[in-house]
Amino acid sequence: MKMRAAFIALASLGLTAIVIGNAYYQKSQFYPSVVYITKSNPSMAVIYVQAFVIVILLGKLMRKLFFGQLRAVEFEHLMERSWYAVTETCLAFTVFRDDFSPKFVALFTLLLFLKSFHWLAEDRVDYMERSPVITFLFHARVVALLLVLIAADMTFITHSYYSTITKGPSVQLVFGFEYAILLTIALSTSLKYILHTSDMQNENTWENKAVFLLYLELIMGFIKVVLYTVFVMIMVKIHTFPLFAIRPMYLTARSFKRALHDVVMSRRAIRNMNTLYPDATPEDLAQTDNTCIICREDMSSGGNYPSSEAWMRFRFPQPGSTGFQLPFAGLPPFPPPFPFMAPPPPPLPPEGFQGLGDEELRAMEGLERENVEARIRCLRNISTLLDAAVLQMQQYHSIVAPTMTGLRSVLSALVPVIDTSASKKKGSYFREKSEEEKRREKELEEAEERELMEAFMQAPNADPRLEEIRRRRLRRFHLGRQDQED
Amino acid sequence: MAGQALRRLMAEYKQLTLNPPEGIVAGPVNEENFFEWEALITGPEGTCYENGVFPAKLSFPSDYPLSPPKMQFTCEMFHPNVYPDGRVCISILHAPGDDPMGYESSSERWSPVQSVEKILLSVVSILAEPNAESGANVDAAKMWRDDPEQFKKIAHHLVRKTLNLPSPSD
Repeated sequence: MKMRAAFIALASLGLTAIVIGNAYYQKSQFYPSVVYITKSNPSMAVIYVQAFVIVILLGKLMRKLFFGQLRAVEFEHLMERSWYAVTETCLAFTVFRDDFSPKFVALFTLLLFLKSFHWLAEDRVDYMERSPVITFLFHARVVALLLVLIAADMTFITHSYYSTITKGPSVQLVFGFEYAILLTIALSTSLKYILHTSDMQNENTWENKAVFLLYLELIMGFIKVVLYTVFVMIMVKIHTFPLFAIRPMYLTARSFKRALHDVVMSRRAIRNMNTLYPDATPEDLAQTDNTCIICREDMSSGGNYPSSEAWMRFRFPQPGSTGFQLPFAGLPPFPPPFPFMAPPPPPLPPEGFQGLGDEELRAMEGLERENVEARIRCLRNISTLLDAAVLQMQQYHSIVAPTMTGLRSVLSALVPVIDTSASKKKGSYFREKSEEEKRREKELEEAEERELMEAFMQAPNADPRLEEIRRRRLRRFHLGRQDQED
Repeated sequence: MAGQALRRLMAEYKQLTLNPPEGIVAGPVNEENFFEWEALITGPEGTCYENGVFPAKLSFPSDYPLSPPKMQFTCEMFHPNVYPDGRVCISILHAPGDDPMGYESSSERWSPVQSVEKILLSVVSILAEPNAESGANVDAAKMWRDDPEQFKKIAHHLVRKTLNLPSPSD
């Protein structure tokens, strides 16, 4: 492989030498030979190949300088993205076929070249989080690379801006926007780098880093979406529809949507964690294992809570991960809907224990550990049964509700037949009332919950209904999440 | 401090080194890259894989405790739940959430609560008791069901191969 690459490089060098030598031999002066080469198609082909080889060699040199050895994952990403980028560039060539010239090809190659370095820088900075040792060389390389990339992007943006201002809109418009997009990538990479570096400086974990990263993603996504939209609008106005920008635009819009969704979900999760779950006390922590079950770290630092510890660190899915599931998804699934089948009633104890003396009663109750455990188990079972009953009631309600609305619509359809003047009022009256009723019910329920929560704040573990309320809220949250995903 | 995935992997590595479960050794291939592990699993006693030492590699995704790692045996393997190329097919390695086929419940699948240790223990348990119902290697599953003697013979052969012993000349 290496031998072949070297052979190709040498062969192209030899061919170029022959072409230039031939031109110079025939014309024996500089300008005529240049004109001769540019006019002759075979010579131009050789020059193109030579330029291509030089670009690749330069790329290898830059890679050695800024990255050292590429990791397998980075190389894979690079290859994958390059294929798309090359395809898009070819599409761009078709749109601008009238301006096709060596300079134009060179500019597009340069753009591709810089793009690939932006991707590599992004990958490298992401790798910081996963590497146990970050050397000084790594920092020096990343900083130098980012500075070079930002400077290059800025230069090209100003160049295309002035060229558009002075010579009117041309291909430079495309380059301007492409470099603007690249600049946002370079900036977000630099910000990420700063965040990671400052995180690495101190020993403790920096909980808020994830929040910053999330919002960074959101803001950069927004800027990119705006840039693409403006670009497409301008292109449609002065040229044709930019076919080559569809894929990146769609991807940007999608990732922006995902970032927005992540922000909303995380905010909701935090709110729920803060309002629904009491903080664990040091005693609670001492009783249990004191290790977070997810990140396997000690939880005593910072006085966090056992359940929300998981959230505090893991509520933010990494960009690109799709398999993230909220822990609530592990709740028992709904039982199959059998609205008219009640569970068999449990056997009742003798009423009032009247036939039993104190001694007998105590004997029946039992004082050993296993008796107590059995009692607790029994109470748990009862609570589960109650939950199931509530669920079944809800399902019953949800099955019956559509029929009711159906009836109502039939009724309201019948009303105008009977009395045309009162019809509209009545129809709307029906609906208004039902909505108002719903709202009032909801308000009542919320008031009840609030009251309970307040009571809880004052005296924890005082009200057994609290558990129920919490579960109910949890379920509502869970359902809402499902709806959103649907 | 480094990222969550790295910290978690370091914690698990420490845990596995301090209290290694019986018959299992696992750790990163080199300590500069914690996302590629290699593991050695000994065949459970009293099964046809007894005495074998089976090397495998584990590769972790960058969002590790949220997504499961991948596991692949690097030696030759003949087992109903291991693909012919060595990839292990067990429910704990499947991405979290519900199975689209409805075969596995979500509690069997991967969740951030699981760990490398649990994965390796599950692998040991499928070595002991293959699940021929959902075969990754259909030939092996069929043989396990219909011709246990032949299956045992092949497994025994594999065991000798992992130990670099010549096969019994019978």
